[in-house]
Amino acid sequence: MKKVLMGNEAVAYSLFINGVNVAVGYPGTPSTEVIETLKNFQDDDFYVEWSTNEKVALEIAAGASLSGARTVATMKQVGLNVAADPLLSLSVVGVEGGLLVFVADDPGPHSSQTEQDTRNFARFCNLPVFDPSSPKEAFELIKPAFEISEKYKLPVLFRMTTRVCHSNQSIEFEFKREKRKIKGFEKKPDWVILPALSYKKHMELEQKLQDMKKELSAYNKVEGRGKIGIVSGGISYFYVKEAIKGFEDLFSILKITVVHPLDEGLVLEFAKDKQMLIFIEELDPVLEEEVKLILFENGKFIPTYGKRNGYVQFAGELDVDKVRDIFHKIFSDRRFLAKNTFTDVLQTPKRQAQLCAGCPHRSSFLIVKYAAKGQDVIFTGDIGCYTLGFAKPISTTDTCLCMGASITMAQGIKISDCSKKVIAFIGDSTFFHSGITGLVNSYYNRHNITICILDNLTTGMTGFQPHPGTGKKIYGKEGRKVSIESLVKGIGIEKILVIDPYLSFAENVDKVRKFLNDEELGVIVFRRECANLKSRESYFKINQNCSKCKVCLEVTGCPAIDEDENGKLFIDSTLCNGCGLCENFCRYSAIEKVMVK
Amino acid sequence: MNDIIIAGIGGQGNILLSRVVCQLFMNRGFDVKSAENIGMSQRGGSVVSYVRVGDDVGPIVPDGRADILIGLEISEAARSINKVNKNSLIVLNDRFVRPKNSDLKKQRILKFFEENFPKLYIVNAHTIAFELNIPKAENITMLTLICKKGILPFSKEEILKALKQVLSPRMYEMNKILVEKIYERY
Ligand code: SF4
Ligand code: SF4
Repeated sequence: MKKVLMGNEAVAYSLFINGVNVAVGYPGTPSTEVIETLKNFQDDDFYVEWSTNEKVALEIAAGASLSGARTVATMKQVGLNVAADPLLSLSVVGVEGGLLVFVADDPGPHSSQTEQDTRNFARFCNLPVFDPSSPKEAFELIKPAFEISEKYKLPVLFRMTTRVCHSNQSIEFEFKREKRKIKGFEKKPDWVILPALSYKKHMELEQKLQDMKKELSAYNKVEGRGKIGIVSGGISYFYVKEAIKGFEDLFSILKITVVHPLDEGLVLEFAKDKQMLIFIEELDPVLEEEVKLILFENGKFIPTYGKRNGYVQFAGELDVDKVRDIFHKIFSDRRFLAKNTFTDVLQTPKRQAQLCAGCPHRSSFLIVKYAAKGQDVIFTGDIGCYTLGFAKPISTTDTCLCMGASITMAQGIKISDCSKKVIAFIGDSTFFHSGITGLVNSYYNRHNITICILDNLTTGMTGFQPHPGTGKKIYGKEGRKVSIESLVKGIGIEKILVIDPYLSFAENVDKVRKFLNDEELGVIVFRRECANLKSRESYFKINQNCSKCKVCLEVTGCPAIDEDENGKLFIDSTLCNGCGLCENFCRYSAIEKVMVK
Repeated sequence: MNDIIIAGIGGQGNILLSRVVCQLFMNRGFDVKSAENIGMSQRGGSVVSYVRVGDDVGPIVPDGRADILIGLEISEAARSINKVNKNSLIVLNDRFVRPKNSDLKKQRILKFFEENFPKLYIVNAHTIAFELNIPKAENITMLTLICKKGILPFSKEEILKALKQVLSPRMYEMNKILVEKIYERY
């Protein structure tokens, strides 16, 4: 059949067709759709789950692989940091059934804290890495990636970037699953990593990388015969192809799909008759460094243009126009300049991302903000929709580092600046991901902070995945539910408050103020489902009593409230979710509820 | 080569529309590629989709090269003007959601489009979707109107076929009624 598939969907289809037995991951843009797609497939020898975090996911995959199953663990680039511990050890221990670590990098970045480059991670862990340029190529490379993993008994990194993950392409394929027999776990001393064994295995690992080079080189290819050589890979390869349209004769392209380990042969052959080499890649200069090293080791000198000498940007995404600009810089040839007539004439300002209309987090933040008024407070934040709590007018997030760090950073701040009150915010999914250990630490070490768990009963940011607190498993099937309150109590923390942020604002502020009054370690759970999970029962509108004081808009910043061209305030009835928050701030009874029939 | 840009704000069904457009071209035997930004942009931000007919290209339309710009929202269409040229076909939904903290005026943007693009069409998909009581279906309303007016060369049958391939059965039934109604009434 022929189907338009998103890059991540293409990976999921190919994984399933190629007999993946166990698929695990933690949601993170731009990687989420691999598991989201896989969950639609069923087979008696196929298992899929959302795990509590990436380390958990990879360790499950490792266990399954040692039993002979084909497995994949999916995550985004920052998730790989969380899974780094098992991954580095696994590169030494090795695998049995094919194990792919699917990692989505986010140049730009579009929705991440970092722009890190997983190709570099592959060099660091000494593992092979595939870097497809399109959904179709990703689809085709899953099979060899599994085969390499099984042949050399090593995990294989499958790295894509946002523009490959989230682009769509028509792909023709036969939807037929390859069945494989799982042979089961076999006891072997190899599976127990001890220092002495580790040394021996490290030597083996280096040897394996040497051995697989030639084989992997088959996935890299040369196009064209021009004297100007371009080395590229991933999505940048297509930018290059489009940028040289009309000048094809001048150029040839070395497209590198497997950058580590990189075989010398093809590189030297390509470089032989070139006047210069241009390196076009996003993020780190990985192709540039690998290729230059090979040239140096073989006594070749060719002028090069890339990141190292300032021709290509280190940060952010490339595109066809940026690549043409680079050519223009190198050749001083105006024909490469982009031809757009209309740059920024209207100067449309950026539309800031914001918490949805009716998002329960907006109320929760404001409740805490009002309750803490007059006190010297620091708010630590975390990763999720609620990171947007830093935006005006909510402004209740002073730090954001990585998953789970709100709770632990709060403790660090409290230790060094104990005169201040420190309040940490963390979402439910993030709490299970990596908040728990920090909470245990705060109890054990007597750090007196307040922790607000913003429980919206889902993983909102990535598209509403379930987690242990929801009690629902990936297919919507019943799992077991972990109660946040019991967990907190189980640690030994007694001071707990549960609040519904939609209920009376004044009462809630009162409760929280009392809670904050004493300096004990305490946890407040704000519980109300994400505004996108339920259809609304009511919406609000602004009537003629409105004095145009704009307080509702200025305090809440709710995207459903706006001012028209005559300064008249209105609530967009299609956006409003009926949370009732704005009503609390109107002194003129101008905001009224409308029930949905 | 046909390069199409669909610009709008989160929640207008931009991405679904780009999928349907891809399917329409694929059903005519073309290879297609498209890209979209998801993630943070869902939270009320700008959403742009690119549809490219042809296979040997990257997913993003280079500056000045779009043949068609479909604006589901006027100021978002304005944001994408670096992608079009004087010959591009511009179709705007008569819907303006002012980016907060800006003094952008709908009339000013429309005037700019009128002055610069001979091939400009404005359709009122927003109002029609509202009238038909499916406010969240601006995307398919827009597509149907464009095709019905002959701006894009797809027939009603082709639209329905593509919708059937892309949507879940329940969603398809709802949208089928919408398409039929638009062909009857507007
Ligand atoms: S009730 Fe007020 S604050 Fe809540 S979503 Fe509607 S407009 Fe926004
Ligand atoms: S998706 Fe849910 S949690 Fe995220 S901002 Fe919107 S309402 Fe809030």
